[in-house]
Amino acid sequence: MSGSTLMMLGIKAMAANYAALQTTGHNIANANVEGYSRQRAELSTAAGQYTGAGFFGKGVDVTTVTRAHDQFLTREASSARSLASMDATRLALLQRMENIFQPGVNGLGHAATQLMDAMSDLSSHPADPATRRVVLARATDLAARFSEAGSALDLTQANATADLRVMVTEVNALARSIAQTNQKIAEVVGRGQPANDLLDERDRLISQLSDKVQVTRMDASDGTTAVFMAGGQRLVLGSTATELSVVQDATDPRRAAVALREGPLTRVLSETEMGGGGITGLLRFQNQDLVAGRNLIGQLAAAIGGAVNTQQMRGVNLQPPLGSVPSSALFGIGAPEALANTANARDGAGNLMASIQLTVTDPAALQASDYDLREDPAVPGTWRLTRLSDGWATTVADGDVVDGVQIDFVGAPQAGDKFLLQPVARAANTMSVLLGNPLDLAAASPLVASTSPANVGTASVASLTITAGPLPVPGATVQVTFTSDAGDYSWQMLDAANNVLASGNDSWVAGQAIPPAGTDINGFSLMLHGVPRNGDVVTIAPTPASALSSNNGNALALTALRDAAIAGGHTATDQWALALSDVGVRVQSGATASEISTAVSRQAELLRSADAGVNLDEEAARLIQFQQSYQAAAKVLQVAQSIFDSLLSTAAR
Amino acid sequence: MRVATLSSFDASVAQLQRRQQDLSTAQERLTSGKRVLRASDDPAAAGTAERALAAESRAVSRQRALEASRNAMLLAEDALGEAGELMQQVREQIVAAGNGSYTDAERQLAAASLRSLRDDLLAVANRQDGSGRFIFGGQGSGGLPLVDAPGGVIYAATAGQMQAATGEATALSVDGRAAFLQAPDPANPGASISLFDVIDQVATALETPNQTAAQIATAVSTGIGQVDIVADNLSSWRAETGHALNRIDAVEDRLAQSKLDAQRERSGAEDLDMLSAISDFQNQQTGYDAALKTYSIVQRMSLFDYVK
Repeated sequence: MSGSTLMMLGIKAMAANYAALQTTGHNIANANVEGYSRQRAELSTAAGQYTGAGFFGKGVDVTTVTRAHDQFLTREASSARSLASMDATRLALLQRMENIFQPGVNGLGHAATQLMDAMSDLSSHPADPATRRVVLARATDLAARFSEAGSALDLTQANATADLRVMVTEVNALARSIAQTNQKIAEVVGRGQPANDLLDERDRLISQLSDKVQVTRMDASDGTTAVFMAGGQRLVLGSTATELSVVQDATDPRRAAVALREGPLTRVLSETEMGGGGITGLLRFQNQDLVAGRNLIGQLAAAIGGAVNTQQMRGVNLQPPLGSVPSSALFGIGAPEALANTANARDGAGNLMASIQLTVTDPAALQASDYDLREDPAVPGTWRLTRLSDGWATTVADGDVVDGVQIDFVGAPQAGDKFLLQPVARAANTMSVLLGNPLDLAAASPLVASTSPANVGTASVASLTITAGPLPVPGATVQVTFTSDAGDYSWQMLDAANNVLASGNDSWVAGQAIPPAGTDINGFSLMLHGVPRNGDVVTIAPTPASALSSNNGNALALTALRDAAIAGGHTATDQWALALSDVGVRVQSGATASEISTAVSRQAELLRSADAGVNLDEEAARLIQFQQSYQAAAKVLQVAQSIFDSLLSTAAR
Repeated sequence: MRVATLSSFDASVAQLQRRQQDLSTAQERLTSGKRVLRASDDPAAAGTAERALAAESRAVSRQRALEASRNAMLLAEDALGEAGELMQQVREQIVAAGNGSYTDAERQLAAASLRSLRDDLLAVANRQDGSGRFIFGGQGSGGLPLVDAPGGVIYAATAGQMQAATGEATALSVDGRAAFLQAPDPANPGASISLFDVIDQVATALETPNQTAAQIATAVSTGIGQVDIVADNLSSWRAETGHALNRIDAVEDRLAQSKLDAQRERSGAEDLDMLSAISDFQNQQTGYDAALKTYSIVQRMSLFDYVK
């Protein structure tokens, strides 16, 4: 035992406490660094020295510096963050889309109402050029609102694609950084001490990666961590990273998809393969919410435009010569589209073997949905059509009509071919007004019904609805003569020279039309008030050219469209209200999901940081603790020195 | 549990931001007076408000159509009233012309004044409303609906009535053929009498010289009988327009009511209850204030302040 032992003891104690102070200082310095894990100098008692008088302690050793880290909590925080980021990204995009669905007087629905109001004014003043011009202005406004909504949805898609590119670039950069950090860690791990700050750096990178895409990690014995996507695809292994890229969606080239480069091949990843993160939120918005928004707007555009066009073409315009210029459509509407999958069979020249032609046959039956068409795996050779909004499916053949759309096969579809049918998705985008002259509006009805003055019954004309445009036999007059008091009648169709073109018998019942529903005489449906008697006559004659300018029959029919089920079984107003609610519910539930997952993520981060984060009060306490220990150790050194000094002074005498 | 300083700051800041956001949303609602600014604020109410807005707008447009109908019916009633008065004069003239002491020349004078009354009646039948529409234009006419033709006055428009887009049976015109040319003949079911033909026939009979008293008496009495029939027809059409005006008043009440209902429904769906909104706002204000205070107190405390 020598004086130097005590000195060594003091020096070691000072060094140990200094190391602890240094670690505390490092903690304080990094208190505000995100993802930093609190570090701690691990001290251990040095093994004692055996003497005849027993073991004498040899002080303290610094064994290592560890970081407070709980793998489970870190993983939990990462995956919670993934989900929060997915929900937040989708919500932000949904809120952007909601701006297109404006309620109240700024909305699409009100623009449609205003057109119908203008039609009502037209029916009060069919000859007034100013009223006609107002109708055209309202129609132009409606078409502009629809096409603006379509463009705004396109812009949302373009922004989403751009965001996706940025996110994928970030993912690739993060994956590369993780791979590099793996390599650095592997280099130092051989020295036997944990590379705390590098480990923190890697955890931080993985956490940032979780923001974009959900990942799982697996630690290897060489200190590296492999990172996999939720579907098991390898993103980082050791010091190599796999690249993601943005590609066109195979079914709809306007949409973007994410692909993984595997050697020379790229493989498109589905939403589920990515599990969570901003990229998944974005793809989910693009593939579900945006598609729904587009179809809701498109259905309304196609339904309102289609109904107005049909009715307009049934009426008579005021272009000279009066009564002989056929009325043409008021609105131009975007055509339905059928997109062939990029993987569909091609011939030697690289052209698709088959394509699909869509034609709208009944705008009122159109649904707000895309459709998937592919071979039925259960019955090869037959084609299965699936409505994507609700999963309803049916088997179709060439020429079949489904939901108001006729599906024609051009060429023979091959086994394995897939098509995405979009009857209404683009209907709003190119909506326009085709008529420029107020005289083009068809306010007049081509036919007028009148009762004979000689009638003895009380029957009068309640309404005359035109059901075909143009009429099957233009210029023909139909005379309905009642042949009994019970409502039996015979009818004759006469040409201008009173030659009988056709005739027939039927029976009228109060509240029902002439001719009965499902039958046709010459493209009209007549409703009567009162009761006709035997011998009474009702004549349905072409409107004389001189009466066309002041007749309002077709304007009334156009006005009546506002109360008719013209859009998927609802009125245009109801359908718009449904669309508004649909988008509202999406945003609302998106907000709720985001709120919940953000709270969960915050909680997980709180738990993680409770374990790993720096508490400054604690560090202050440690600072005092280690400072005191350091001062005590210095005292030991002082004592050792003064002992040594005493020894020296004794020896000096 | 330990609390990491960074995350406690982050959590406090996030909490403050959330409260501030709530406060700004509440303020936005208060200043706009609306509870539903976006569909997502209350999807069901947004849908209801949208339907109510359309219903209100429809009621307003129907009111406009109703005014057009009312205008047409008021003018028609006036015109039919005037025509009735003219017919009264026609009747008096014919009765006077039946006086046995009248000479041919006096009867010719009576005939001339009958013809002038007839022209007045024709002008009344061809009367227009302010916007150029013929009141008796039926289902549409290019020019005058009642025109003089070689065989007498004919109806050049399309018979029937034009309807206004009010959602109920409200007419925009009167059938001039039925009112003036086709008064039902009670003695002869299925046959009808033209007002102008009656006057023409009496006038022609009076203009014919050298007639016996019996011939004149027959022409006059037949004429008076027929004048009464067409005058009755005019007054029944006048009554018809009176009914139409009554109906228009009733429809107006219904439209005003449905407009009011729609406004109330819309307001109920999307408007803010100011009282509770102001109280909510004050609550949020208090909450924000408390959050700021606790933040400044708690975050100011640090052990470092005590280590000297």
